Amino acid sequence: MRETLLAIFIGLFATPLLGGLINGLDRIITARLQGRIGPPVWQPFYDVIKLLSKEKMVVNVWQAFCAYAYLSAAAISVVLFFLKSDLLLILFIQAVGAVFVVIGALSSTSPFSQVGAHRELLQILSYEPLLILVVAGIYLEIGSFKIDDIYAWGQPLIFKLPFLFIALGYALTIKLRKSPFDLSTSHHGHQEIVKGVLTDYSGPFLALIEIGHWYDIILILGLCSLFWATGWIGMIILVAITYFIEILIDNVTARMTWRWMIGYVWAMGLTLSIVNLIWINLA
Amino acid sequence: MAELSFLLVVFPMLAACSCFLMRHNTIYSLIVIISGGLLIGSAILLIPLVPFSFSPKSFLGINIHEILTAADFLLLFIILYFGVKYKNWLINSLAIFQIVLLGYLEFFLINGSETYPIIYCDNLSLIMVLIICVVGSIICVQALPYMKKHETHLKIGVSRQPHFFFVMILFLGAMNGVVLSNDMILFYFFFELTTVCSFLLIGHDKTERATKNAVRALWMNSLGGAAFITALVFIYTRLGTLDMQYIIHADSKSQLVILSMALLCFAAFTKSAQFPFQSWLLGAMIAPTPVSALLHSSTMVKVGVYLALRLAPAIEGLFLTQCVTIFGAFTFLFAAALAVGQSNGKKVLAYSTISNLGLIFACVGLNTPESIAAAIILIIFHAVSKALLFLCVGTIEQHIESRNIEDMRGLYTKMPLTALISVMGVITMIMPPFGLLLGKWMAMEAASSFLCGIVMIAMGSALTVMYWARWAGILMSDPFAGKFKLEKQPVLTWAALFSLCIGVGVLSLLSPWIYRWCIIPIMGSDYLASYSTDYGIFENAFGVFAVLPLSLVAVAGFIIAILAVKSATHSRITMPYLSGLQTEEPRVFKGPMNRLITAEAGNYYLSSIFGEDKLTPWINLGAVILLTLVIGGAL
Amino acid sequence: MLHFDCGSCNGCDIETLACLTPVYDIERFGVINVGNPMHADILLVTGTVNPRNKKVLVNLYDQMPNPKVVVAIGSCGLSGGIFKDAYNVLGGIDKVIPVDVYVPGCPAKPEAIIDGVVMALKKYEVIKKKHSDSVPSRMKWRKIAP
Ligand code: SF4
Repeated sequence: MRETLLAIFIGLFATPLLGGLINGLDRIITARLQGRIGPPVWQPFYDVIKLLSKEKMVVNVWQAFCAYAYLSAAAISVVLFFLKSDLLLILFIQAVGAVFVVIGALSSTSPFSQVGAHRELLQILSYEPLLILVVAGIYLEIGSFKIDDIYAWGQPLIFKLPFLFIALGYALTIKLRKSPFDLSTSHHGHQEIVKGVLTDYSGPFLALIEIGHWYDIILILGLCSLFWATGWIGMIILVAITYFIEILIDNVTARMTWRWMIGYVWAMGLTLSIVNLIWINLA
Repeated sequence: MAELSFLLVVFPMLAACSCFLMRHNTIYSLIVIISGGLLIGSAILLIPLVPFSFSPKSFLGINIHEILTAADFLLLFIILYFGVKYKNWLINSLAIFQIVLLGYLEFFLINGSETYPIIYCDNLSLIMVLIICVVGSIICVQALPYMKKHETHLKIGVSRQPHFFFVMILFLGAMNGVVLSNDMILFYFFFELTTVCSFLLIGHDKTERATKNAVRALWMNSLGGAAFITALVFIYTRLGTLDMQYIIHADSKSQLVILSMALLCFAAFTKSAQFPFQSWLLGAMIAPTPVSALLHSSTMVKVGVYLALRLAPAIEGLFLTQCVTIFGAFTFLFAAALAVGQSNGKKVLAYSTISNLGLIFACVGLNTPESIAAAIILIIFHAVSKALLFLCVGTIEQHIESRNIEDMRGLYTKMPLTALISVMGVITMIMPPFGLLLGKWMAMEAASSFLCGIVMIAMGSALTVMYWARWAGILMSDPFAGKFKLEKQPVLTWAALFSLCIGVGVLSLLSPWIYRWCIIPIMGSDYLASYSTDYGIFENAFGVFAVLPLSLVAVAGFIIAILAVKSATHSRITMPYLSGLQTEEPRVFKGPMNRLITAEAGNYYLSSIFGEDKLTPWINLGAVILLTLVIGGAL
Repeated sequence: MLHFDCGSCNGCDIETLACLTPVYDIERFGVINVGNPMHADILLVTGTVNPRNKKVLVNLYDQMPNPKVVVAIGSCGLSGGIFKDAYNVLGGIDKVIPVDVYVPGCPAKPEAIIDGVVMALKKYEVIKKKHSDSVPSRMKWRKIAP
């Protein structure tokens, strides 16, 4: 019981802190890669606190609903992750959040927001199958969907599922809203479709979505960490390396079109996953 | 038992006839409502009785078998009559083929000495009966106000509603007959009866297109009927009985029996409008919306999956079962892809039905305890959610006179309550903790060890999310200040919409218990119960789905979000961002020379990839190949 | 921060954008350039106001959620600058919306702009306090002005 409560506590409160911190580090590293100094580490927190203190302003009142729904779905999925629940279930709940972001964006008539919403849908379309296949691959390897059993498994999964890890990398890039897949909204797409799905969110509601995004980051990085679930050090190193590569990719690539994204992600990602799945099936 | 079965099967037929005869508006409305209530009541009374089986020896003094034979032939001749009337040689030849085979079976093969129950009802039948009676009756009741409006709109002089409700109620009776019959000949009779009913309903409006589509539905389903009767002949020659329970559990897996199983699966595919037979269900859209609702949710297409579910134990371990999985997953994926390319709301619903049925077939094919449970859960929740969505679309369509999704933009400002219920319907389709997703979760976990299946299911489910989310979003798409005026609808419409909406929520909440009390007994003899459902949490060795806790959390989240909406109504409302050029009108901006320009944004339908005309030929080709695999693999 | 080019000769714009480059790196102060007033706290305006872009400026200003500050850049933004007497020029930014910080220069130097933005950030804090204390006083002003 105490463990459960602890897990819920960590999931709810520690995760956004960690997510914000990672976001801050991300901004600094990105700045350094571009020869700049970059903001303070705590900048994301300053931003969110500032947004929360701003005036409430909406285009459609259901935006508020969608922002809260996204935040709660993201939080629940992370809590379930810390409760070591079913991976597939976690993915489903994570998808709920993503869908509410889309619905929220569609609820405004601004063309920017509409285009952003559709791009977001295409992004979901691209990464969702990969995530499911990754989970299916884990199941094929260890015979369970429960995170419990993954921790109990003796050896790091990455040796058995290297291609699936790369496929997960695609999903990660999309989820983190990083180039070349930051179509629907991005962290530094200044004038690019004026921030897509987030166009008509402002003030506190924007802050909620940002916090939800932090939860999302942690969830998907957590998914990566499962590939080295045998020890803390391995886990952290794996996640750190992956994240650094993500930042690097973000900085050296340009934003591509959705056509390219779907074609590329499905062709590469699915091939990689299928090859890996066949491999474990045979082994 | 006998009385209840009579109430469920024969009574609707009588009620239907009286509907037809009493042409007065109030009288047949009353008959519809009362028989709906009676059906629901007797279905509920059936619950404590299952499982049971019996065979009525005679009806009104005539041997039941003789009545049956006569009815069978009568039905086939009716089909033949329609074939001649519409000059369709395909229907004619199929009908004649069936008449010949039936004659051969009845007069040369069967010697009439068998003693096996004609009616058999276990939990699976019970679940089906409940779905048919409850959802079907709700749809019939909603059809009352709908048809009134429909006829005023079409300016039809002499009302054809008695005819309409005659077929609708007859249909419910036929469906109950299908799921309760154990004698394959009886099953075949009702199977054909549903075909005829759907033919009549699709062609109800008597327009040229309606007739054309109805005829197409007739020949496609006759194809299924022909496969069915062929299978019966094969089975009888090999096993010497038409007792369904015996056939399913028969040990002898001779070539001929396997072939007939494949033919029965084929019949199931035609009934459930799987590729390449999807066109009859799409054509059925031409009919008034309650018909679509009935065909898609509780009747007709469910016959196919029911038949497949019945056969599941018989095909276990065969190559056939894998074929069914691949075929189902294939349909799931590509029907979803086609749905993405659609802007016609009813077509999206149709493709989503086909796709969901594909998933159910895939589950049946996987043939594990989890997947069978998944199939049943999917059947239940698909029926309720789909009925809800169809009724919503019907209501919307009558209001805005369009079924195009683009025209439903910002529907919330025009008909807030209907729009919200539709969004709710969509949410029950794609989000946990609602039942449909529970089923999908079980299906995915069961399919994970089946490589080909899981890849297609994974892609298909992403596509599914895409077309649903898009639709839900568009309904809400209008800047909105918080105060709204409720639209006016007939009481019966509201009653139907609300009961379905609440029903799906309550059923989802109860799903662990439905599983424990209804679904486990079905599999009892063949399978071990695989999920434990303590505290409302589905759990087995490798997965958990916490229905009850998640529902509670979801309800809490929902309340918080609604409160947020309430408080947001007091906040500043601004216009959508249009690069600073916005005007007082939400979509209009000031262009060059101060002209007012309306900003347009359309959905991505990706018709270059998912267009119907582009994909359909290839999909049909693929489906034909797979079907050949299904039949050929059995040889 | 939202940068809006009202009707500048582009001189000030180039200097403003220079602030984002590695040389000046305005993100050191946590400031990033956004493309949408709904996400912005600071409105940075360069150039003169004319009848045509006046409405746009007001619209953008309106769509920024409170509290917010406005920085006018360059002589043009301050008063109309060398274009002051042109037939279509109404004058400086403050003819249309309230301005909090004025950054002079023709063009304004990036250092000056950064200085102005940082000042604006300080002013933002003050306004935020006022905003949370009472009704948005600046909204009242809006009603009288144009
Ligand atoms: S102040 Fe000078 S540099 Fe700036 S916009 Fe005006 S004329 Fe151009």
